[in-house]
Amino acid sequence: MSNPFEHCRPTELEDKVHAEAARHFAEHLKQFPASREVVERLERDADKIALAANRAAAKPTPKENVIQADDGKQWHKNVDLMENIHFCHRPISYGAEYAVVEHFPARGTNEILNRGWNATEVLKAFTHGLRQTLQVWTEDVSAQVLEFLSEKFPGHDLSRVADAFIHKCTTQAVSQKHSLTQGHAQNHSRGMRI
Amino acid sequence: METIPKTEAQPTTPPPERLAYSVQEAADMLGVNYFSVYRLIQRGKLKPCRALRGKLLVPRTELLKLLATE
Repeated sequence: MSNPFEHCRPTELEDKVHAEAARHFAEHLKQFPASREVVERLERDADKIALAANRAAAKPTPKENVIQADDGKQWHKNVDLMENIHFCHRPISYGAEYAVVEHFPARGTNEILNRGWNATEVLKAFTHGLRQTLQVWTEDVSAQVLEFLSEKFPGHDLSRVADAFIHKCTTQAVSQKHSLTQGHAQNHSRGMRI
Repeated sequence: METIPKTEAQPTTPPPERLAYSVQEAADMLGVNYFSVYRLIQRGKLKPCRALRGKLLVPRTELLKLLATE
C-alpha cells in the first residue's frame, strides 16, 4: 500500500485525525515494525542459518543442547530464531531431519512448528507462516482503524487517513521515533510524511 | 440538628463478563506481545471471530481453553 499523502497534502481534518489515530494505536506502531524486522532478518539470513544447521548436523552436539519435542524424539538445538523458538536437527540413518521448535516455558514442552529434510525449506515454511501472521495483523489493524475513524468522526470520508496510517504502520523503521506530537508538528510545516 | 438519614448500601452487582476481547486486550491478559497473539491466531491455536468491519475478537472461551492447555 502506498502513502496517499505522498503527492497530495492532507486536509486539516485529515491531519488532526491521523495524529489522533497514531496516538490511539501507538502500541501497534511500536510493535509491528519490530516484529516485521525479525521476520525480514530471518528471511535474509535463511541460507546462512540453513548452512550453519547443516554443518552442525555433521558434528556431534553437546548433550545440554538436546531437547525432547512433542513428537517424543530428541532434537539438537542449533540456532535461536526468536525468543523460545529454535532451529533444530536430529540425526537419521541417511542424514538429518530439521525442525523449528517452540519452547513453552510454563509447560516445559517443545512443540514442532515445521519439519523436513531440507533445512532451507523448513526455514522458508516457518518464515512464510510469520509473513502470513503479519498479514493477519495488518488486516486487523486496518479494520480497527476504520472502526475508530468512523466512530470518532462519523460522516467523513477518511479512507486516505486509514490508508496512510496502515502505510506508516507497515513500512516505518523500528529505529524511527514514533513521537506522534513531534511527527505531527513536522507534518504541518512540510506536509504529512506518513 | 437535622440528621441525615443513612442510606443503605446497595449491593453492587459486578459488571457482566465480556464475551470477547480485542487482540490488544488478549495480549495484555496473557502477558505477551501482539505478535504472539496473532501467531496463535494464524496457527489456529486461538480461534477469533470477526466484528463489524472485520476487526478480530478473541472469545473469552478461547482464551480459557488456551490457558487450560498451557
